[in-house]
Parts: sequence; structure tokens; C-alpha cells
Amino acid sequence: MEMIVLPSLSHFFQTLIDSRGIFLEGMLLTLQLTVISIFIGMFIGLFFALLKISRVTVFGYIANAYIFLVRGTPLIVQIFILYFGLTELNIPDFWAASIALAFHNGAYIAEIFRGAIQSIDQGQKEAGRSLGMGRFLTMRRIILPQAMRRALPPLGNQFIIGLKDSSLAAFISVNELFNVATTQGSNSFDNMTYLLVVAVYYLVLVLLLTFAVQTFEKKLSVSDH
Amino acid sequence: MVRCYTYLKAYFLLIWRTAEKEEKLIIKKRRFWVPALFSVAVLLLSSCGSNETNGNGDKRNSTAKGSPILEDGKFIFAASGEFHPFSYMDGNQMSGFDIDVGNAISDKLGLEPIQKKYKFAGIVEGVKSGKFDAAVASHTINEERKKHVLLSKPYYYSGPQIFTRPEADIQHADDLKGKEIAVSKGSSYADIAKEHSGQEPKYYDSDVVALEALANGKHDAVVTDFATGAEAMKKKLKIEAQERLGQSEQAIAVSKENEQLIKEINDAIDALKKDGTLKQISEKYFDEDITVKQN
Repeated sequence: MEMIVLPSLSHFFQTLIDSRGIFLEGMLLTLQLTVISIFIGMFIGLFFALLKISRVTVFGYIANAYIFLVRGTPLIVQIFILYFGLTELNIPDFWAASIALAFHNGAYIAEIFRGAIQSIDQGQKEAGRSLGMGRFLTMRRIILPQAMRRALPPLGNQFIIGLKDSSLAAFISVNELFNVATTQGSNSFDNMTYLLVVAVYYLVLVLLLTFAVQTFEKKLSVSDH
Repeated sequence: MVRCYTYLKAYFLLIWRTAEKEEKLIIKKRRFWVPALFSVAVLLLSSCGSNETNGNGDKRNSTAKGSPILEDGKFIFAASGEFHPFSYMDGNQMSGFDIDVGNAISDKLGLEPIQKKYKFAGIVEGVKSGKFDAAVASHTINEERKKHVLLSKPYYYSGPQIFTRPEADIQHADDLKGKEIAVSKGSSYADIAKEHSGQEPKYYDSDVVALEALANGKHDAVVTDFATGAEAMKKKLKIEAQERLGQSEQAIAVSKENEQLIKEINDAIDALKKDGTLKQISEKYFDEDITVKQN
């Protein structure tokens, strides 16, 4: 068995400091990928969640088919199909990754929203309808605001997953954090140190994301008193 | 605590099938079985991970002439499996020029060849850390690599070449200025690309994937070995070869501590050149002998 060769603490910190320029550039791309995919993913998610719980059966089928396909295939396969597969469309690397990530996150977010919406007591909907509100208005003014609060913990989870999934863009040459780590690592024949450095970057990003989501949860829970 | 003792007694007595009444009752309980099965599973899994290698620097295993190797009687060499026609997947095994050379050298050393597929970008580091005896993966000889591993004498001569899509207007090295070039991570082509285009290239895990992306309309050019590109063109990939960017010598890499093994490998290379095996292997894959210096 080989020993795990850990870099010395001083070498690790030296590398962390020396490589910050190129890693910060990579971090920018990672953040861009994550933000775009989450942002678009939320809209896709809400759309398909509403489709799924709609009274129109066909909509339900469409939503189920989409969620099944996107959740049922690995994200890397989806990214490769958009980049290497759809040759006539010639999607550039960053956008192939962003779109794949957005649709992938969207499917999971759709289920998160659906769960949150359906967990709202039926009484709320009945109250809204009996007040004369149309179905759309009830959804918009009564159900959704309450559902969003319920959706926050699993959504925060999905954001973190989305952030880490962005590392798969490395395989189609997007120079985000993971690609920078493996490239620098192989150029200096020292993968271990660079992988540990990039792990630190991801940890910091996840920390910030968790903090943001927690703050949001707190703000929305003011009504609980 | 007393119950704990009874459980342990039940454990052992179960093995010896002489359980008393109390133990028999405990054996029927789920509380007994769950940890029992769990520990059996752990024991089974822990025995999976061990292998017979003795690790780096252990002089217990060695070749006939006394060079240290990882496993007795075996020559473990790495290749990427992603560098047609030098190493590529052929069913479950790798085939190709590099693999054939690795096998031939192994024969000369009197050892059984064991090939290991490994990501190219990590092979040199793998050699350094003792994962394999050697790397037969078309490593170009350059100063940077010499600092980390020992390189044998060249076993073939080749050179980087520019590849583009058919309608592109890049032909010579100067046309590469400011263009987006795709290369394989950890390859010597990365520096060449940077030098000629003046900007950071796009990194892929393998040259073959980079060429595919080029054919699919991404990037402006790819810099890779002329043989790899030629092979890709043979496979109907829509790319064209442009100017060759100089000559390069490819060698086998071995850990810096293993001077003896590199000497044996060098002798083996000489022997293979002398008896024509190297030439044979070369002509099998290319219609020419790339194991001697070309002009």
C-alpha cells in the first residue's frame, strides 16, 4: 500500500498564496456558472412544479417526463450531449455547462417546490378561493409565499449541490476552480497540494452560500412570533 | 454493561455453537445481529483494499539484474489509454504503440508486463509516488520533467503539429497569435500553445477529446502529436494538419530513485533497436520507422 503523501503545511500555504491569482479567476467562473444555473433553475423549477400539480393531466405528464429524464441521467452526460453532441448548434463551453446545470438543477428544484406547495394546508387554498380569488391569484398571493419559506432548507441544499456540480464543467475545458486545480497540479507534478487548495476554495464558497441562505431563513421567519 | 458482556459471550459462543440459554435468547434479538453483520461487513471490506505491492523503495522485489520493482516478476507501466494510436482502449485492455513498446521492454527485462490505465495529467506524479514502475506514455523529454523523474533515452521521435478545421485560415506558427488553442493537461504541448498564441490555452483531459471538440466547431486550433492527429483524420474526424512545430523525443519515465531500472530500460531499448523489434512495432502502427531520428 502506498502512503498518502500530504504536503507540508508551509508548502500548502505557500501554494495557496502563490496561486491565488489564477484560482480567483477560476472562482469567478465557478460563481458565474452557479449563479446562472440557480437563477434559471428556479424559474424552470417553479414552472415545472406548477405544471406537475396542475389540473390538466397532460401538463402533469410533460412535467413528469422532464423531471424523470433530467434526474435520471448523469449531469456529466447532459453536459457532454450539449457540448459534444449537438454539433449543429455549436454551443460554446461556458453556456453548454450553464444550460445543462440550469436544467439539471431545475428538475430537482421542481420537486422541492412541489413538495413545499403541497405541504401548505388545504385550508389556505380553500380560504383564498372562498374569498373570491381566482386559482392563479390564490397561488400567487397565498400559497407560494408560504411555500417559499418551506422550500428554503432543501433549496439551500440544492444550491450547494449546484455549486459543487459546476466542477463538472472542467471536462469541457471551462477554466473554473476544478480545472485550474488539475491543470496547475499536473503542470507542477503536485496534484495533492492543488486539490487541497481548491477544496479550501469550495469550502469557503459553501460557507458563504450557507450563511446567505440562513440569513434569508431568519428574515422570513419573523412572522413566526 | 453486564448485558454487553453477555452479548460478547454470545458472539463467541455463536462461533463455537455452544450457546447457553441466555445467549440463545440474545442471538434471536435484532440488537445482536445488526452489529454482528456490520462488523462482518467491515472485516470483508477492509480485506478488499490490500494488495501485494510492497511500496516505494522496498528493495525486496527486484529484477534479475537487481533493479527495484514494485511486484515480483512484474513490470507495471502506466499509459493514458487516451492517445490514439500510442495507447487506446481495445476492449478491457489498452493497445497501441506505447503498450507494445512496454510489453517488449518487459520481455527484455524478463518480467511479466502489467499495464495500468491512468490519467495522463497525473502519470508523472504517479511515477514519483511509486504507483508504477515506469510510464510508457509518450512523454516528451523536457527540462521540467527531468527535474521530477528520470527519463530514458528516446524510444521514438515525433513532433507537435497544429491541427485546425478544414476552412480555417491558420497554417503557420505565426497564424496562431491570439487564437484559442486546445491542448491536453500536463502535456508538453500546453507550453508550446501558450508560446505561440500568447494566451492561456483551453485544457482538456486528453488530446483526443480536444481534437473532437475542434472538429465540433470549438476553439481555433489544437496542438498535439502529429501521429495522434493523423490517426484522428484517418478516423474521419473533420480536421486538417498544418505546420509542424519542431521535433520532439519521447522517453520512458521512471522514479528518480531508481537509477538501476532506467539503466536496464535503456539497455532494453538499445537491444530492441538492434534486433529490429522497435522498428517492427513502429511499422505496425505507422508506415514508417519513427524510432530513429528523422530530418
